[in-house]
Amino acid sequence: MSASILYIEDDREIGEWVSEFLKEKGYSVTWLTSGERAVEEADNCAVVILDVMLPGLDGFTVGQRIKKACPVLPILMLSARTSIDDKLQGLEFADDYLTKPFHPDELAARVEVLLRRSAAHVEEAVEIEHLRIYVKENRIVNMDSGEDIVLTGKQYHIFMYLLQHRGRVMTKEQIYEAVWNESYIEGDKTLMVHIRYLREKLERDPAAPAIIETVRGLGYRVRA
Amino acid sequence: MKWRKTKGRFRNSLTSRYLLLIMAAMMFMPIVMPLASVFYWFVNDTFSRTVYVPTAKYTSGEPLVKMWHAEAAKLGGASAEHIGQRLGELREEYPELSILWVDARNEVRVELPEQPDIPDTWSAEYTVQFMKTAVGNDPFTVVAFIGGDEGSGQGFMVMRIPRQYISVQQPFASETTIYAAFMAGLSLLFILVSWLFFVGIRRRLIRLRKAMTSPHSETGIPQPVQLTKRDEIGQLEEGYNDMVQQLKIGLRRQREEEELRKALIANLSHDLRTPLTVIRSHIFSIGKEQLSEKGQESLALMESKIGDLGELIDNLLSYNLLTSGRIELKLSPVDILRLVRESAAAWYPVWEKSGIEPDIDLEGEPVVWDVDELWFRRIVDNLFQNVVRHAKAGGYIGIRMAGREDGERMLVISDRGPGMNADSEHKGTGIGLAIVEHLAREMGLDYEIVSSAAGSAVRVWRKSNPLLTNAASDDTSL
Repeated sequence: MSASILYIEDDREIGEWVSEFLKEKGYSVTWLTSGERAVEEADNCAVVILDVMLPGLDGFTVGQRIKKACPVLPILMLSARTSIDDKLQGLEFADDYLTKPFHPDELAARVEVLLRRSAAHVEEAVEIEHLRIYVKENRIVNMDSGEDIVLTGKQYHIFMYLLQHRGRVMTKEQIYEAVWNESYIEGDKTLMVHIRYLREKLERDPAAPAIIETVRGLGYRVRA
Repeated sequence: MKWRKTKGRFRNSLTSRYLLLIMAAMMFMPIVMPLASVFYWFVNDTFSRTVYVPTAKYTSGEPLVKMWHAEAAKLGGASAEHIGQRLGELREEYPELSILWVDARNEVRVELPEQPDIPDTWSAEYTVQFMKTAVGNDPFTVVAFIGGDEGSGQGFMVMRIPRQYISVQQPFASETTIYAAFMAGLSLLFILVSWLFFVGIRRRLIRLRKAMTSPHSETGIPQPVQLTKRDEIGQLEEGYNDMVQQLKIGLRRQREEEELRKALIANLSHDLRTPLTVIRSHIFSIGKEQLSEKGQESLALMESKIGDLGELIDNLLSYNLLTSGRIELKLSPVDILRLVRESAAAWYPVWEKSGIEPDIDLEGEPVVWDVDELWFRRIVDNLFQNVVRHAKAGGYIGIRMAGREDGERMLVISDRGPGMNADSEHKGTGIGLAIVEHLAREMGLDYEIVSSAAGSAVRVWRKSNPLLTNAASDDTSL
């Protein structure tokens, strides 16, 4: 799979190195040294890596323009600033955020996550343990038996939310609010009950879940 | 020009208006009293005419006396009928007069109109008594011998008229109620004018005070006022507007400085981090080369130091910005449990990778504190970061809520590391904790660190009265 990445970075040394690095990882990279033509180039890309400090148009402006033109295109912000005002302005449109000096592997991992998240509707299927999930078709197949697993709307919603944030621990509030669209009330057992039923359908052994992991005291996670 | 200016100054001065009032007050007695008399006279003149008939004939007693003596002289030697007729005519001419004719034999021959107090025959005693009482009394009485002073043996004629018909008008002496009412009215008018003068000043001063005490919601600067008059208060308003303008300029300059400082820090940060990024990427490249074990170790060390350096830059610049007072914390009620849970969720993979076992107990009712969400996260992040950096050896992080003696709840982050006082190759400058301390103080939180060789615990709780303690800490910082 050769996803194309739009990379906007004004520093030549970093830019050259990172484009080279990403190409080695198997992506096709378009590297711009300023934000001027970013919006046109963004059309053909699967993910944007955007540096905050740019000559001319600054990274925030460029990011906002790209987000306006292509709302679903994920943007990863690279920052050399202090985290103070960046965090305030930047994360409104950016899907993820990485502070310089970043570790190249970290960058590659973040790009991977973003691609997976956005490409979910492009990707044919995701495989976790014994499950194959056809995201586009809302279909989950148990590869052990070859049968389809039928989930209720909420169960599917919860599973998809965790899948989208694969590798990250999501708190009960975050899941509840994303799925039910209302604020979580402490002590509400609804989510727990849904997770239990969901596990009964998905897991080989619901007593020792391998797909939806409970993180004690925090929430749930689908391992990357 | 100068004259006009002074004239303008005079008109546009509260002092002059005040002086005018005082002058009015001073002139009150000498001017207003005669004025009151004139008014009184005018009122009498206008409204009392119907009751009172001051014809020209009676304006004084003098012509009446002359007329009476002249008539008496003319009647000398006339017949009794003629005298009676003439007196009748006179009575018609002067209807207010009472007329008597007493003849030589002391008998009353003519009595116009009938006067019951007059006897028909005048004895000598009565005559003398009559004359005695008549002098200077009311009614005004004139006695004339018929036929002149020598007399013609025809007796005398008496004319009487109430003095009010002939007396000269004496306004001072009478009808004091109208006079008093007029004086009172003028006094009231004077009081009213003074009061209005004062109320006008007061209203303008209050308007100015209102403008001063109702600052703009965004800038916090009071609003300028509309100028009223060009007097002293007008100048005060003008001065106040100037002051507001100065404040605005000051605020703008402060904002500019703030922006400049932020830009400077941002650029500094950029300039420091860019080479670090380049170094890091090249370390990564070298790492892929064939290297001895020692070489790999060195690279790993460089790698971790670059990470530390990046963090140090971030903390240093954050601390600089924070302590410059340029960052405004936006305090709002936030559920601390939720915030810490979300933060811990983000740190979870790091702990896993570092072999730290998290022990998290943040269940229960929401704990709502007034904090700036972003900066509270920063506190928690710094504390978590410290555990990862200094207490990795303990392989444990505990995050829980506990109660204090005063009933407040507190957040406790504990580890089983070697403790704060232990020598550590990772020992930092402590700037991470300095940021925690600064932020905690700004948000009305208190914190303490309990550290021993068995591990450390950081406790964060809400101060019982953040306002008071804030003021106290401000004092000590001065």
